[in-house]
Amino acid sequence: MTGRVIVITSGKGGVGKTTTSANIGTALAKSGYKVVLIDTDLGLRNLDLLLGLENRIVYTIVDVIEERCKLKQALVKDKKNPNLQLLAAAQTRDKTAVNAEQLKDICDKLKEKNDFVLVDCPAGIEQGFQNAVAGASEAIVVTTPEMSAIRDADRIIGLLATKEEITSTKLLLNRVRPNLIKSNEMMSVDDVVEILEIPLVGIIPEDTGIITSTNKGEPIVNDENALAGKAYRNVAQRILGEEIPFLDLDEPKGFMAKIKNVFAKLKVKV
Amino acid sequence: MGLFSDIYNTVAKFFRPQEEQEGEASKSVATNRLKLVLMQDRTNLTPRILEQMRSELIDLLSRYVELDKELLELNFEQEGDQVALMLSIPVIRAKDEEEIEAAIKAHQEEISEDEECDETESEETEETESEEGETVCESEESDTDETEKISDSEKPKKSKKKNVSTPEEMKSSEGEEVCEEETEEIQG
Repeated sequence: MTGRVIVITSGKGGVGKTTTSANIGTALAKSGYKVVLIDTDLGLRNLDLLLGLENRIVYTIVDVIEERCKLKQALVKDKKNPNLQLLAAAQTRDKTAVNAEQLKDICDKLKEKNDFVLVDCPAGIEQGFQNAVAGASEAIVVTTPEMSAIRDADRIIGLLATKEEITSTKLLLNRVRPNLIKSNEMMSVDDVVEILEIPLVGIIPEDTGIITSTNKGEPIVNDENALAGKAYRNVAQRILGEEIPFLDLDEPKGFMAKIKNVFAKLKVKV
Repeated sequence: MGLFSDIYNTVAKFFRPQEEQEGEASKSVATNRLKLVLMQDRTNLTPRILEQMRSELIDLLSRYVELDKELLELNFEQEGDQVALMLSIPVIRAKDEEEIEAAIKAHQEEISEDEECDETESEETEETESEEGETVCESEESDTDETEKISDSEKPKKSKKKNVSTPEEMKSSEGEEVCEEETEEIQG
């Protein structure tokens, strides 16, 4: 089988790339798909913490590349779901320890035996980004409704457009605060989509549950009651090709109509 | 009472537009600032280059009509993938034929003067036009940035004293400039 390789990127740091990777990966695995998460943030690894796997890591991606272990040995199985595996980043090395070709090679090998390979990209547009993107054929750009994050996302979208291998680039709008949008103090989903001009794959509301779930090392998709968890499960469903309406985050009037419109556009493009 | 005040607040909201307008300002300020900065990012047009473009357009157009330079507006608008340059020019007065021809003639004379320009003038034009890549005068490389150019213009003075360095050395990196200074000291 040939799985899909999706890179999760943003440009700006701290907008929720790693949280998104952990949650989409967990949600896809829960739906019965075989998933590998790759942390490419060498020197600043965190995906292991969000999954609660930090104590189980023996080998890292650099060990695989420098042939100290086999690829299979470096994959760490999730505690709850054996469908989900993590290939951790090396904490003691930096981005120069890996090159784009090596990462593409690893992605190519992993997609032979898995349905999904999700690549968690480091912040920035340098070597780390180039490496993470190398093996991917799809991209999810994570941003928040803030100017700096949107500007960086625009830059990333521009860079992704130059990569021939990337055939689909979609937007995930994170940390949306319906109250602020309602009082016109925050850019709305429509504003961001209009500016960035790529189809939306998810809207994640700001949720304090993210903090507690990170504390516990358990992705929020496992919490059936959390709104952000539901939003991430919806993203996974959309990645699988299902048509799931976006959550009603109670924006100003006409919001649902507009979102339906956006969704209709999405359908046309897919 | 609680229910009453709830209803009152809901009703009162409809009659309090000021509050919302303030909030809207903050959001739309962000959207507008962002749109402008993204346009600059996407087109590689820095505010400085935009200003230059504006002044060149004024020069060009004022040969044909008398326009209000202060009110000339230059904006970008985006529709889908297409970026459009929107130019709004308030015309004060149409020029008559003679005036137009005189202005064109004056401009052509300027151009021919520029072509015969001596080296000092050519360096000045390069200063203002360097970031566009191609320049009018071809006496020196146009791709160098300003810092290098400053060192370039300083170097000839030194090399004249020594009378040693070739033109290639004059254009070399700043690192080599340091070396030259050192040898100068030794010689002195």
